[in-house]
Formats: sequence, structure tokens, C-alpha cells
Amino acid sequence: MPSATGKEFLQPNSHQEVVELLVKHGERALVVGGGTFLHGLLARGVLHDLDVLIDLQKVGLSYVKHERDVFSIGATTTFAELAASERVQNRPELGALLDALQYPPAQIRNMATVGGCVASATPLFDLPVAFMVLDSSVRAVGPKGAREIGLHKFYLDYFEHVLERTELLTEILVPRQLSRSASAFLKLETNANDLALLNVAVRVALDDKGTCRDVRVVVGGGIGKVPVRAVSCEDVLKGQQPTLALLKESGNVVSFDIHPVSDFRTSAKYRSTVAKVFVRRALLRALDRLGVHLDEPS
Amino acid sequence: MKKIINLDINGQSQEVTVAPHQTLLQVLRDELGLLGTKKGCDTGGCGCCTVQVDGKAMYSCMIFAMSAQGKKITTVEGLAESAVLDPVQQAFIETGAVQCGYCTCGMIMTIKAYLSSNNSRVPSDLEARQAIAGNLCRCTGYQKIVDAIRLAATRRIATGSQKG
Repeated sequence: MPSATGKEFLQPNSHQEVVELLVKHGERALVVGGGTFLHGLLARGVLHDLDVLIDLQKVGLSYVKHERDVFSIGATTTFAELAASERVQNRPELGALLDALQYPPAQIRNMATVGGCVASATPLFDLPVAFMVLDSSVRAVGPKGAREIGLHKFYLDYFEHVLERTELLTEILVPRQLSRSASAFLKLETNANDLALLNVAVRVALDDKGTCRDVRVVVGGGIGKVPVRAVSCEDVLKGQQPTLALLKESGNVVSFDIHPVSDFRTSAKYRSTVAKVFVRRALLRALDRLGVHLDEPS
Repeated sequence: MKKIINLDINGQSQEVTVAPHQTLLQVLRDELGLLGTKKGCDTGGCGCCTVQVDGKAMYSCMIFAMSAQGKKITTVEGLAESAVLDPVQQAFIETGAVQCGYCTCGMIMTIKAYLSSNNSRVPSDLEARQAIAGNLCRCTGYQKIVDAIRLAATRRIATGSQKG
């Protein structure tokens, strides 16, 4: 296996130190969260000119906070730590996050970090899709200071986001959700270690009459360079009482919003077909979490 | 630049010289001669490199050795106490869960971590399979491994043991 000819392995103690190191070493350096994504790239010889590894585990970014109605998740929080956090349990509005965290096996959950997953800019990952459906943003620090960027504006292309090389993603922020809202996430995979052939996150908010006052649908996996907001699906349900027929219609129109690809995993046609089913099922699950049970006929 | 570091492996402090890019898997096998942890895919997909870090199952092929400093690393060599096998190892033998043996060490490390934090009842077939979702086996078809998990869990509960 080819590996980095890395000359240094640094373990700074603060995010300010990390930024200084990124400025000093420029393109020779990369930060390491859990290292799960990085190792995959190293093994494929993609990062052969990497000299400096900056380990983030002592930087103090492992936390889940809930202050002034905003959840802030430190970038080095592992999947397992987030899933176990009391702050995110029993909250139907965060269901999509907890659903997404269940898919990887134990080893990945114990190692992979939330910040690393978001910063990898891989549209085939799961957590970013779940975060996007919750209108999340990221906080980053760099030599010019700190800034906050909405996730819907964060991704540009495969493996490309808006951060500069000298910026460090420090937190993911999940804002307060509308009252009486629930979210859900589904992933199509061939095995537990696989990337998503397709994934879908939804969020539904009902008013006191049971009408959908807000609907959000985000689709990821092999459907484009970045996760896509399926506005057509949302428009079918907004302002309506949810019914099985409407959910099915909402699922069917997802083909207007996504551009699935054919690759060695599966065909574009299969992705399109499953997307319709997954949007419907994710909506069913979210509504179920709100106590609205639209059971499908068996 | 290589550095001399100390790693806590199975309760013993081991001094090793490592390069920045070296993985814990490489160090365990090539520097310390601990061959129980196996190299399979080397990219965090097959699970045969699984070790425990502070009691949590992780892929050693994806851990930089330098970041393992200050943590308790447990490999399969650290389980048995002289001639007495660990209960999970014993269960594997009794259920016939070993064929070629290549996945076995990684499986056992994953299962031990799972049983340590899921010890109130015997897992169902599905739960046991989900617990080992990060470990591939080409030989057994998994059923006997699942049987071993449930056997070890049953005994653990019956004896009220903290081991296993």
C-alpha cells in the first residue's frame, strides 16, 4: 500500500495553533480528525505529497452543547459520542441525525469525526445530508478570524468546499427547529461499510391542524456533485394535509430535482427508482415520529 | 522524521520508533511482532485489523501510531490469561466459528467491546449480526460466529461476570 512520505506528525493544543500551522505549512499539511477518510485517500495514493499531518485530538473540539436553542457540535466529536449524547436523544426533530449515525459499523462510529465527515465534501456521505435538512451551518476559524457558513452554501463540487486551506472547521451548528417538527434519514447501501448508493433526509413540521407548514427534502449519494435539495418534493406537501397519496406523489417528483449517475455500484435508473421510494418512506418515518401514522397497505 | 514513542499495548509500555505516516497496524505487526492483528484491506473496510483503543473497537489500519500515545491499546494477544482462554475465544471454539481464522482475531476484539457495553441481555440474531457489521468473513457465513456471540453473552449473564 502506498503511504504518505509524511515527515511530521504534530499534535497542537488549540485551534489557534492549528491555524498557525496551516499557515506555516500551506499545501504540505492536512488536519486529521478520526483519520478514516484520510487513510482511504492515502491507501489509494492520492495524497502522496502530504508532508505534515496535524492531529486534532488535543485541540478541545469534542463536545455537544445546547445553548440558546442552538446545538453546537465540536468538529472532533466522534459519531459514537454524538449518538450517545443525552442532548440529542428523544428529539424527533433531530431524528435524521440519529438515523444517519446508525449506519456505519462500530469501528467507524468510534473513530470518524463529525467535522471530518462534513469537511470531506463527499456527496456520498450521510451526516452532511442529515445536517443539511436541519438547516445547519459550519463555523470555521482562519488567519482572518472566524466565520459561519450555511451548509447549503458550503459545498462546491466533489471534495471541494468554500473553506481556504488555512481555515479549520471547528463546529457544526444546528439551529432551533420549528415546533412540532421531525426529521428522518434513509440510506441505500450494499453493506455496512459502503458509501451511499443513495440517501435521503427529510424534515416535516406540522401546524396545529396537522397541515405541513414546512417540508424539507435533501437527497445525496450518487445523484450529483453535491447533495441536492428536492424542492419539487417539498412543494407537493407544503400547506397540505399529509396523505399516503400525497407522499407517493412527493416521492415521484424527486426525479425533477436529481441527476443520478451510473457507476460500478448501480445504475442511474435504479437510483431514480429507489429515490422515489425512499423519499416516501422517509416522510412516513418523520410523520410517524410526530404521531401521524399513515400505514402503508401491506 | 521518526520518533521514539511509548505505547500502552495490553497493559505493557512498549517503546517503538515510528514514522509519522505509520499506522498502528504496521507498528503492531512489524515493530512489535504482534501478528494476531491482521492486515486485510488496509483501508478500514474488512475489520480483520480491529483492536480496542480505551475499550472501543477501532480499525488499527486507520490509526496513525503517533496518535495512539496515551491510550490503552488491547490486541487479541492481551485477552487470554496464560492457558485460560477469554470467554469469547472459548465460545468461538465451542461453536466452530473458526475456519481459516483470518477474520477471527478482529471479530473477537469487536465482539468483546460489544459485549462490554451490551451486557444486560443476550442479543438477538439480528443484533449480533449488526454488532459485527464492520467485520467481514468469507468462510463461515457468519452463523456460527453469531452463535458464539450469543453463547458468550449467555454465559456472561449467567455468571454475572464482568469479563467476556
